[in-house]
Amino acid sequence: MGNYFSSMFDRLWGTNKELRILILGLDGAGKTTILYRLQIGEVVTTKPTIGFNVETLTYKNLKLNVWDLGGQTSIRPYWRCYYADTAAVIFVVDSTDKDRMATAAKELHMMLSEEELQDSALLVFANKQDQPGALSASEVSKELNLVDLKDRSWSIVASSAIKGEGITEGLDWLIDVIKEEQL
Amino acid sequence: MPPLDKKIKKFLKNSIRVAPKISDKGEFGELRAGLVSPYPQTRKDAIKKTIQQMTLGKDVSPLFPDVLKNIATIDIEQKKLVYLYVMNYAEIYPELCILAVNTFVTDSQDPNPLIRCMAIRTMSMIKVDKILEYIDTPLRRTLQDDNPYVRKTAVICVAKLFQLNKQLCVELGVLEDLANALDDDNPMVISNAIASIIEINSIDPTVIDLIRLIETHVSKFLLVLNECTEWARMTILTALAEYNSRDSLEAKDIIDRVTAHLQHVNPSVVLATVKVILKNITQLDPNQYSPDSKIMKKISSALVSLMSTPPELQYVALKNIRIILEKYPEILNKELRIFYVKFNDPMYVKLEKIEILVRLVDVSNIKQCTLLLNELKEYSMEFELEFVSRSIQAMAELGIKNGNEIFIAKIADIICNEILERGGGIETIRDDCCVALSNLLRCCDMNESMVKQICSILNSWSSPEDILTSDLSKCHYIWLMTKYPNHFTTVIEKLKTFIDNFTQEESMTQVAILLSVIKLHTRLEGSVLQNLFELATSYEAVDIDVRDMAMMYWRCFSIDDSNVEKDQLINELCNNGLNPLPRIDNILEMFSPDTLEKLLNQLGTISSIYFEPLTEDILNESRKRRSQMNQNIIKSQKLNDLQDIARNELLDGHEDVLLDFGDEDDSSSNMASSNNNNNTLKELDDLFGNITQDVKNLNISQQQSNTDSNQAPSANTTTSNTQDLLDLF
Ligand SMILES: Nc1nc2c(ncn2[C@@H]2O[C@H](COP(=O)(O)OP(=O)(O)OP(=O)(O)O)[C@@H](O)[C@H]2O)c(=O)[nH]1
Ligand SMILES: [Mg+2]
Repeated sequence: MGNYFSSMFDRLWGTNKELRILILGLDGAGKTTILYRLQIGEVVTTKPTIGFNVETLTYKNLKLNVWDLGGQTSIRPYWRCYYADTAAVIFVVDSTDKDRMATAAKELHMMLSEEELQDSALLVFANKQDQPGALSASEVSKELNLVDLKDRSWSIVASSAIKGEGITEGLDWLIDVIKEEQL
Repeated sequence: MPPLDKKIKKFLKNSIRVAPKISDKGEFGELRAGLVSPYPQTRKDAIKKTIQQMTLGKDVSPLFPDVLKNIATIDIEQKKLVYLYVMNYAEIYPELCILAVNTFVTDSQDPNPLIRCMAIRTMSMIKVDKILEYIDTPLRRTLQDDNPYVRKTAVICVAKLFQLNKQLCVELGVLEDLANALDDDNPMVISNAIASIIEINSIDPTVIDLIRLIETHVSKFLLVLNECTEWARMTILTALAEYNSRDSLEAKDIIDRVTAHLQHVNPSVVLATVKVILKNITQLDPNQYSPDSKIMKKISSALVSLMSTPPELQYVALKNIRIILEKYPEILNKELRIFYVKFNDPMYVKLEKIEILVRLVDVSNIKQCTLLLNELKEYSMEFELEFVSRSIQAMAELGIKNGNEIFIAKIADIICNEILERGGGIETIRDDCCVALSNLLRCCDMNESMVKQICSILNSWSSPEDILTSDLSKCHYIWLMTKYPNHFTTVIEKLKTFIDNFTQEESMTQVAILLSVIKLHTRLEGSVLQNLFELATSYEAVDIDVRDMAMMYWRCFSIDDSNVEKDQLINELCNNGLNPLPRIDNILEMFSPDTLEKLLNQLGTISSIYFEPLTEDILNESRKRRSQMNQNIIKSQKLNDLQDIARNELLDGHEDVLLDFGDEDDSSSNMASSNNNNNTLKELDDLFGNITQDVKNLNISQQQSNTDSNQAPSANTTTSNTQDLLDLF
């Protein structure tokens, strides 16, 4: 009987509210790799995401609904579909892709100017740090003009999804900010 | 009364549940909020409510972008519903569909085979080129899946893809995979593969060598035949019927191995089996398929068993039996009674049974003929005119087929003394009797007593031009009168009233009048013939053949009197009635030998019902129609237009259309909702079971609905909205 009730409560509380988090960024930045790193703690082989992945994961007692949207040019127009009720955006940058830093900056600022995202926190991953010639976090920060951001909690973290470095640090910061803002 | 346990559960669920509920109102605002709710349970509720609205026939397409967000889920039920929704509305939002691609591709590798199937089916059914672009890997992977259920689905998807985008299908090389699937171990995979191949072949016969594939897989087909479902069996039998056996040995083998299926409960399997047997039987030594042979007896009893099916199926069976009988007239000749009309048969079955009876009867068996005659006589006493009419005709057919003068005289006697006596007051019966008597008399035109009997009755009709109503019966009457003028006391008066009516008559009667006046011209005033020639060649509405005929005779009569041959010519024209007529021995309609062979090969198809063999022309026509249908596949736009389109699609989606269905009784719509949800799931499963079939492969149930619609056009109106929606695919 005890078992029965506890499993039942699990189920009931399992239906609890979820927090929406978006992972955005240009194609090939490593979004899908990061999502599954978070969910199963492993590196998965990925293909360019035509559409989206969504996974629900529990992190520090919070239920997160994490959306990884495709970053190809043809899919970027649809990012806006997913903005409503978003607690935080994780923006992933391929730190070795110097040629497209400007594009990444443009997409980032365009996205942040949307009404629906005014209250969302921003975490930037300067990803692929394991690669030689990767820009450092502060260099990426400069390229993206992060200092221009007003009225927003933001942070940038150097990461390597492949090696699993920086990911949890980034997420810890994000969760703290969300908890602060939501409670 | 639900058990306490359940009650507690429900109570707890309702009181502790924090996730907001969705009302039954179906307002878009509420549904949309629910679809993106932070509570999974609310999202699922909202999806259910949305699909419920959809099955009720409401247009819930504006919710597309938000429903789509729920496609990636581990909840199978939810996934099914979202898939169903997406299939329904994908074509309205071709651009947004791209957002589903990743899920489709991922799902096609799901550990659950059902989900793999669902993904590949859906991808191959959505007419949006953006989706098809990514079908490559999932299709190839599912074609090689470990699970036969997935493979059997994937092979059908090849045909679906072919319908949507032939070129892509060829480029992907999946047609080879499809052909290889014929070597699969699983009967269902094999039968679906051959169905898929037949389907593709009917769309474009050039891409796949159907005949060769069938040839190389005959033994495989025979092997799996016993292990597969009805529908699969149909498909395989259809394929086998396309195969020409090499020699009598192989033919015998095929026959032996399909024969068991003659006893199948599904009539379409039976007919398909008969088709295969008849196709191979001619390879055998003729005495192996004599009417008394085992195999013929088996076919015979299989056909007899079809007569205990519902009327619609009987109708189909009767049509097919008629084709078989024409090739093998002796096959059922001990079973005449089976085809006797029952009082509660629908009219279309009654009429078809008569067709069989007169064809089936063995004329060398006088006892059988007499029995049938008595049976037909009874039918002719019924009250449904169409049936009576056909029975009278059948009597004449029977008499002529039999050819015995005494028997014919007996029939003439029945018609004169019993039928006319009783039903002579009814126009159509009079018409039919007149035609029947005239036909019978043609068969023994020298039998004085019969001539006398028949002519005296017809002579007693005072104004035949009025009491006869059909063109055919008038024509026969005039012909008889002209042939036996001495038996018609008032032949000249009667002919004159016909002449007076000339312009109102139809062409057969007009020709009869013309010939009659020519033959009897010596007994008429000179001006009558002349006037008729003038009338028949000058009045406006005249039939061109009648006019030409009149013209020709007129020329003959206008030959200069000095020409010595004139008298002889006129004499010959007028007196040919004195020479014995060529003997008729059958007035039953027959197929041409060519048509018959084709129809035998199309038993159980729609062709067998219309007696209209499927020709290359019809096939081309249907191919054209299909390719037109598939041309509306939705092409994606250029990238720079994409932004605008995306924005518009989203704006459209978010336009707040509030449909209020609050008026509906809550409890009833609750019930409807649970039903609908169940149905939806079931239908989602069913939906995938079918493949669009070509005219050639219509199975019986489809034929049945066809005959149904002939007889009762509204038979299908009860199908649910969902079904209608699903039918769109
Ligand atoms: N060296 C290195 N490679 C990485 C790292 N993160 C991702 N990659 C690789 O980058 C490629 C693209 O990664 P994805 O996760 O598929 O990229 P994405 O952002 O999801 O791309 P789209 O789905 O097209 O938007 C893959 O080959 C990954 O293995 C990283 O930290 N270091
Ligand atoms: Mg990705």
